[in-house]
Amino acid sequence: MQHCTPEQLALAALREPLPAEDTAHLAACDRCRAEVRSLQRSVDAVAVPQFAATGAPVAPPPRVWESIAAATGVAATPRPAAVEVAHPVAEESAPPSRDADVLPFRSRRRPVLLVAAALVAGVVVGAGAVAVLQSRDDGQEITAVALDPLPDNDASGRAEVVARDDGSRVVEVELDAPALDDEYYELWLIDRDVVGMVPLGVVRPGTQTVELPADLDLGEFPLVDVSVEPLDGDPTHSGVSVARGELDT
Amino acid sequence: MSELLTIRPRNLGSVAAVDPQPAQRGAGEPDDQEVGRLFAAGEEEGLALAYERWAGQVHGMAVRAFGPGPDAEDVTQQTFVSAWTGRGGYRPEKGPLPAWLVGVARHKIADTWARRDRQRRETEAAVSDMQAAPSGPVTAGVDTEIADRFLVLDELDLLGQPQRGIIELAFFEDLTHAQIAARTGLPLGTVKSHIRRTLERLRTRLEVDGAALHA
Repeated sequence: MQHCTPEQLALAALREPLPAEDTAHLAACDRCRAEVRSLQRSVDAVAVPQFAATGAPVAPPPRVWESIAAATGVAATPRPAAVEVAHPVAEESAPPSRDADVLPFRSRRRPVLLVAAALVAGVVVGAGAVAVLQSRDDGQEITAVALDPLPDNDASGRAEVVARDDGSRVVEVELDAPALDDEYYELWLIDRDVVGMVPLGVVRPGTQTVELPADLDLGEFPLVDVSVEPLDGDPTHSGVSVARGELDT
Repeated sequence: MSELLTIRPRNLGSVAAVDPQPAQRGAGEPDDQEVGRLFAAGEEEGLALAYERWAGQVHGMAVRAFGPGPDAEDVTQQTFVSAWTGRGGYRPEKGPLPAWLVGVARHKIADTWARRDRQRRETEAAVSDMQAAPSGPVTAGVDTEIADRFLVLDELDLLGQPQRGIIELAFFEDLTHAQIAARTGLPLGTVKSHIRRTLERLRTRLEVDGAALHA
């Protein structure tokens, strides 16, 4: 049996969900597991939530600056109002007990729920949505989203919706996925109820640009979905989704 | 003034992110990059402006680690003092100042944890000394995890960009590789291979220096 790639083992060390084949291999292979464990030592050493910088800011009391000024001899002073106003969040967000010192964690990375079956059940994924706006040479990026692998799949990617200067819109898709035999990938926009689906066409591993229907309301079809379609002539969604993200529109 | 309300934690990532809105600041207010430049150049105004903009973020981390009070305030104070005195180590071209400050804050938090741990051991040892026969030296057992943490934080400081920003997003913001690619605009394959190489590099550092510590 083939070993997992070093890249997959590194992602496993970060506790990202792996495709089914890799997961199964890992369960059976001491060598790959040992590799993950050895890579995980550094992950675990700093995997403490207190190291995250994105929590709520807390304005330090004025005496903190006074000590800094005393220690550095710096005469310039921050405007206290700026410190307060810029960071108005109160200390309610400040929990831990004095003994709580170091709490190893690592669960915020939620595995993406949702499989083909959920298409029917109407479950919607919200994880992995990252919206950005960006000026580009070839138009204005409206929004972009990470396509996260659905369970048991090795596909991931990124989709950017770009408004071109002539007013038309395109989706630029970067798909990182294995090549297929006798099947193909198709790109879809799907509504939140997972009922309405707009097929956008065939995509392949790599980068490509797909035209969007004019006047299509992205807010109505926010899920960007990549499916695997058999060559059976059936134009509907196969129900086999491999990667998905939700546009923030 | 409303421009001061723009808190953009996203800016704390040290990769030049796909950043939609350049700082919205009033006329005459230097942008974040300019603050970084002033700071690096040793202009006192740079320290004051950096404090205005990012002390809340740093203090928020400190408070989450130690609760509000003297320990958290010490961490915030030490972060800015040592960032200022060590500003020669900050390179504006290698990343935004707030990301660097947050890195310094992580070191200070880790220092404080280690100090508390040492105090606890000493207290425990003192108690057991009184109760029983002398045991080994108190300093013998530096906790492996604490030692590892110092080594990893130290090695992160040595990473260039975009490697450092990528691994920080994975470690500290808990993003998946696909999210990191989306955030940074880097291709997925690039993100994956940087993650692998950085984890291998960190492993080597821990095996070499970590082993030496415990020899």
